[in-house]
Parts: sequence; C-alpha cells; structure tokens
Amino acid sequence: MNMEKVGIDAGQSSDTIAFMNLAFLQAKLALDSLEVPVGCVIVENGKVISNGRNRTTETRNAIRHAEMEAIDALLDQWKKNGLSPTEVAVKFSNCSLYVTCEPCIMCASALSYLGIREVYYGCSNDKFGGCGSILSLHMIRPGSSSRNQEAKKGFKCTGGVMASEAVSLLRMFYEQGNPNAPKPHRKPLQHMQTVDK
Amino acid sequence: MLNCSHDIEDMAMVKCGAQKQEHIRLCEIIHIPDKPPIAPHLQPTVNVLAAHVEPKHANTLIRKLNQIAPLESLRHVKRVRKIKSLTGGQCQLSVILCAALEDDDQFDEMPKGVKELIDSFQLSTFVTNVSKYAATTKEEWEEQCKLWPSSYHPPTYNIDGITGFSKDDSLSVLGFMTQAITLAKSCNQQMVNAAVIVDPSVNHVIATACDQVRPMNDPSIMSNTGSHLPKHSNVKIQPNAFESHVCSLGEPKHLTDGVGCLHPWKWAQEQFDTYSGDWHPLRHAAIAAIEQAAARDRLLFPTNFHSRESFIKDDMISLPIGSPSKKQKIDLEKVYDEDDEDSNGVDSHSDSARPYLCTGYDIYLVWEPCAMCAMALVHQRIKRIFYAFPNPCDGALGSVHRLQGEKSLNHHYAAFRVILAENEQH
Repeated sequence: MNMEKVGIDAGQSSDTIAFMNLAFLQAKLALDSLEVPVGCVIVENGKVISNGRNRTTETRNAIRHAEMEAIDALLDQWKKNGLSPTEVAVKFSNCSLYVTCEPCIMCASALSYLGIREVYYGCSNDKFGGCGSILSLHMIRPGSSSRNQEAKKGFKCTGGVMASEAVSLLRMFYEQGNPNAPKPHRKPLQHMQTVDK
Repeated sequence: MLNCSHDIEDMAMVKCGAQKQEHIRLCEIIHIPDKPPIAPHLQPTVNVLAAHVEPKHANTLIRKLNQIAPLESLRHVKRVRKIKSLTGGQCQLSVILCAALEDDDQFDEMPKGVKELIDSFQLSTFVTNVSKYAATTKEEWEEQCKLWPSSYHPPTYNIDGITGFSKDDSLSVLGFMTQAITLAKSCNQQMVNAAVIVDPSVNHVIATACDQVRPMNDPSIMSNTGSHLPKHSNVKIQPNAFESHVCSLGEPKHLTDGVGCLHPWKWAQEQFDTYSGDWHPLRHAAIAAIEQAAARDRLLFPTNFHSRESFIKDDMISLPIGSPSKKQKIDLEKVYDEDDEDSNGVDSHSDSARPYLCTGYDIYLVWEPCAMCAMALVHQRIKRIFYAFPNPCDGALGSVHRLQGEKSLNHHYAAFRVILAENEQH
C-alpha cells in the first residue's frame, strides 16, 4: 500500500524541497492564526500558482482544509479568466500539490475528482489519510465507470517529504499552544494539566 | 443467555404508513451497518478443542476452564453445548476446552492445566468449529448456533434510530426527505443531488442546498436559514418522471448525469452553453449545505473580542502524544469562562445554543454521498445521514466505501437509507 513511499529519495530533489518549504510557510501562517498547522502550494510548470492553509476554526467550517483553500483560489481565478470546465480540467492535469500532511479522505477524493497530476506530502495522516493510510483514493484505476464515459482518475503520490518537520509543527500546535498568539492564548499543556488537578 | 431473541424483530427497520394522497404510501428506514453484511452461512469459523462431559462435572469444569483457558477472542461463543439425546434420555453436554490448532499437535500447545483436566476427568476430546466473530444480525446468529451455541446482542447504540424509529420520528424523516427530493427536482432541467441539514431536537431546517457543479438557477440560494419543517400534510409529491425512474432499477442513466456524487469526475467533460452562472467541480450539495450551515453559525454567533472559538484541532492528524486535545478543549473553555465576564446582551442567541460545527444535526441527501462528501460530513460532525438512493459509482456509506465503519476516524455518524415506496397506481 505504501509503495509510493519507496521513491522518496528520488522525489526529494531540490525543487521538491523548495516547494515543500513554501507549503511550510503556509502551515506556519495557520499556526500563527491558531489553526491546525497544515499548508500547501499548487505548482504548474515549475511555478507556484496557488497556496492555502487550514482555516477550519476561523470559518467554523471543518472542511476548509489547506487543499480546499488553494483549489478554490485557483478555480476563482480560472473562472474569472473565462476558462471552461474542460479547460480547467486540462489545467489541473498539469498541476502538482505540495502539502505538509497527507490529504484526508475528503481532500484526496477532491484531488482525484479534479484530476490533479501528482501530490507530494510530508507526514502521513494515520487517522484520516486518503492517500494510503486509511483509504488509497489516489490509486483509483483510470478507466470507464460502467456505462458512462466518465473516467475515474487517480494521481501519483509521494509521501514522507520533510515528514519530521511536519510532525514537529503539529506537535507544537497540540502540545505547546502558540507563543505568538494574542491574549488570551492557549496555555501550554503542562500548565493546563496542573490546572486540571 | 438467549435473552434478546424476542425483541430483535424489525430491529433497525421501521415501516410507516403515510397518508395516501401524498403518493408515498409507505417508507422504510433502514440502518446501514458499519460492516458489510456477510451471507450468514459464509461466516468465518475457527477450530476449538472440545469434550463431552458428565453433567455433574460441568460446573466444576467450566469454572476451572474459565480460569486456565479463557476464550478471550471468542467471547460470543458459549462454553457449553447441550444436545438433547435422541433416545429421550439425558442431555449430552459438551464444553470447549481451548482454541485448537490446525495440525495434530494439540497436546503440546494447549494451555497448562487443560491437559490435567482432560486426564483427571478422563475426557474424550474432539475438534469442532465455531464462528470466529460475534453475530451482528439475528440471521447470522441463527446460522452460528447450528455450529455451536453463541450469544447475540443486538446493537445498543445511543444514536437515535439505529434500534428503530417511532411513528412520529418516521414521519418527520419522511417529511425532510420529501423536502430534499422536491429540492433536487426544482433546481433545473437536470436532476441534481440536494441536501437538507436539520436540527432534529427542534425539527428546524439549518441549511438547504443543491449541487452547484454546473451553472444553474439554484433555488437554494434564496432559501432562508431558519425555516421550519413544512407541515407534513402540505408536502406534495407529484409523481413524475423523476420518481418513476429513480425508484426503478432500470433508471435511464442520463437523467442522473447531473448528480455530483454519482458522477464526481464528469464535470471535466461539461460543455456549458454559458459560463456566466457559477459552477464549481467540488460544490456538491452536501458541501454547499455545510458551507451554508457554517455561514449561519458565523452570522448568528459572531465572534466577539474575546474569541471563544472552539478549536477544530483533532480533525487533521494523530500524533503519538496521547490525546491531549480533548482535555485541552475543556480546559480552554474553563479558562475562557473565567476570563470572559461581559456577556453578549444584544444577541438573543445564547452561547449555549451555539452549535459546534454540525454536532447533533441530521442531513438528508437524495443520493448516497460520495467519498468527498461523506468525509466532509465526518469533519463537520453530522450525527445522522439519511439518503434515498444508493450510489454505486462512489458511494461512501456502504456502496463503495463505508466511512461509518472506519474505526480510525474521530467521529462516526449513523447512516440510514429511506426507501420511499410509490403508490402503485402511478
């Protein structure tokens, strides 16, 4: 199931690391806003064309994951430019996503529906991951679905890019709260445990 | 003990009669279980080592066996089997001694003490097979008992409806599903999926939406966020092409081409006459309804200076650091309660009424949600999902995936299919 992880070393070219670093910048923005620190960038032809970070708390909408933010920004732009759905689909098929954490089942499905070319992610997502951890939605075989011509699409997926950095960032969020947060900010876990007693 | 065989009739299924003039005469609400059903006679089995015993030794043996060889992984299997003798004499008792291996080396591997019992009671042993897993339905249980008696506990979830619906609840479910179907038909020339999010504690509609994958005139945009359930008697279902087609197995595919969850990849082939309307390949009805519910939340309960945001934190990741998140959440609220002294006197909505995402809410969908929508509903903490028609292409509540049974997820809703029966004369 984790075959795609075999190619980690090959996938960690300097470009991959550079794009993942940009995804981390987004994740840190999320952390600064007291959001779960996950960030991403979307790359087309070697250029970053969109970015996003988790906004679930701010929007009170638990589906506003980093991937959804970046996708919606792109769609807005492309629709504004008058692109048709077919043209948008061609665009997505040339795009790569770099995200600090394995896309969840919802985001992995969405990326498959959009027909994205490939995904690089940092740490795996043992609870919700849709790219190998819980389901393997990226491995959907291209082909016809029954009587319709609608082609199901999978995508190439490489995990483990800067995974330890991604885990430390998340740990920072879960364990220590955010030292940069304005008052009243979340207190460090240790303190809260003493309060609890 | 076979203490539950009598009350499992019609478990998780309710039939309710609705008024005839509504063209829907009957509806069934079927719970979609966490695990795919297995044909009862194909349940997996395991071997056990058993022995015939004298009735007078049975109690002693069982007590000792429970200590030296507890059946940890076979708790559903009864230790003793009682078979009435064909000659009308004494019953024959057999007990399970321990799990058995596939090969013949039983005596080397059996737990210490079991062999001593065999020797001291001069038991003649035999290998037999028993069901590996506990029965989840009455049918499975009946089949299991043909091998060896087992116990069966019907599910005792605390989500309303899994063990059945009252007549009032059924009518209310029928009413909201009818509303969703009406919405799905009203959105344009083409059929789409529709979603109605409901607070079942007050039968209050929180949000309604149709698929917005294609540019179209979407009446849900104009929908208010606070309408009550229309009186059931006012709900009119006109029998038309929609129902007769979707209710029958041989539905013409083209009629449902516009349903986002049924054809999530199809948007890429769209050729619209106009691109002026809004469209979005991922704006399925459930996604749009969640967005609307979140917007309602932000509108009714604006964030004040002392942000009382609940942190949607455990939705992303698991970390090997225990689970401090829940504790954190509680403590956090404590901290805020102490700090936050100014109550919001202007807003009539008290904070206690403020929802945490869609906790406690139900959603009605015409079609079983796709993987994206079903996971979105996990994230948004929906309590129950009702759908009318299954989704063989990408359905994630049993058809292709079964998210309600994915143990690793941090939230589990109950899923139900509402089967609407037509009046035969239409």
